Amino acid sequence: MVFDLKAATRTPPKVVKVRVRRYNPETGSSWWQEYEVETYRGMTVLDALLRVKAERDHSLVFRYSCRMGVCGSCGLVVNRRPRLACQTQIAEVASEGRPVVELEPLYNFRVLRDLVTDFTEFFGKHRAVKPYIMRRDVREREEPTLEYSQTLDELAEYYEYSLCISCGLCDAACPVYASDPNFLGPQALTQAYRYVADTRDELWEERLRFLDVEGSIFKCHFAASCSAVCPKMVDPAGAIQRLRSTLLKYKIRLYRKTRIAKVVPPMEKREPPKPLPPEATLVEGVDLKLIEEEKPVIPVEKLLTT
Amino acid sequence: MERGKFRFASNRLGVMASFYPWIIDIKGNPERVAFTLHRLTGVILVGFIALHIVSTNTPARAGWEAWVEEVQRLSGVNLVSILFFIAMGALVFHSLNGIRLLLVELLALGIGRPEKPKPPYIPPSLKGYQRTLIYVVFILSLVIWALMGYVIFLM
Repeated sequence: MVFDLKAATRTPPKVVKVRVRRYNPETGSSWWQEYEVETYRGMTVLDALLRVKAERDHSLVFRYSCRMGVCGSCGLVVNRRPRLACQTQIAEVASEGRPVVELEPLYNFRVLRDLVTDFTEFFGKHRAVKPYIMRRDVREREEPTLEYSQTLDELAEYYEYSLCISCGLCDAACPVYASDPNFLGPQALTQAYRYVADTRDELWEERLRFLDVEGSIFKCHFAASCSAVCPKMVDPAGAIQRLRSTLLKYKIRLYRKTRIAKVVPPMEKREPPKPLPPEATLVEGVDLKLIEEEKPVIPVEKLLTT
Repeated sequence: MERGKFRFASNRLGVMASFYPWIIDIKGNPERVAFTLHRLTGVILVGFIALHIVSTNTPARAGWEAWVEEVQRLSGVNLVSILFFIAMGALVFHSLNGIRLLLVELLALGIGRPEKPKPPYIPPSLKGYQRTLIYVVFILSLVIWALMGYVIFLM
């Protein structure tokens, strides 16, 4: 997501209307409910929700955990854009002209109650692409005694995609995922590419063959909404295009993983640098001993007493 | 879906998400507009091809004069020429955007290199030259469409 830094430094309107699309699974009814919340500078949408829950309506249900954009639990649709509630300031989404914050549960997910959505399908699809390092030698993977060697360039190939926090915002924004329940979704495909691009992964062909048979990757048509809403700049759109290009090259036998990371013993630790002798000096003509003996401008005793 | 006495609601946006880009806030995402237009023009082209086969079938069998008569219906302002004009606009956009999509989707070109996140956190695929190509496609197709309109309606 491109952060609107100017908007985040603005002062929010003093009172905002928080409109929440609520859902009750017992009766199956859905309705919009409105709360007025007094704001303060730096207030996030999650803060507003917590204030509503504490002061107005404790039947309101939402999910959150870390409050700092790391756990990915508080994904919501704020003013028709999937965002993390804890990373979105009220000032970003509400203005004096329109002091309204509309909150909906994530699109394309099953709603359990109010703003809480079901991630079973999401994690099932994530699991389907085998998001872990696979080696031919299973023992080496399960009980490692040595390390994998990898250069910084090889790390840079997939590092960006490994930052995914599984918040589900990309799937909520994807127009293909909206209409096709069988599509694996940007998150799962990005994680597939993250392990295909990782040199430590040895059984990448297995993953590529799964994606080829499933055919799910060819349903993506680069609307790039996933990248536009991703709060961690993971860039799922780019990853899916690279994965598809890799798969096509693999199909016509042009792609081979050039290097598979080898197992190597841990790098030897460097010896700590030797301390300099007391008479050593970096600047010529300056004696360190003389500097130590100089009286400080403020006596130490005075500093300690005040 | 039923589970015990609870009913859980599906929140899927459905096909509307493909044909109405403003169903979500698409600020900073012109790719979504191009995607929607690509779908819409694709549907128009399928209809056009079907109509085209039906409408050219009889005159093509009936001989040269019938064919010339059919082709003459395309000039001047009437229902057939307006539909033809719309189909040609769809064709131009769909083909130009298709070239851009082939570059991006098959060859993974124009989407930058993976990089470490740093402010202002713009993903590389939204900074690559495919973004420039979108505007080129929009402008070029408008220009070519206008020229086609001139040829169809005014010449």
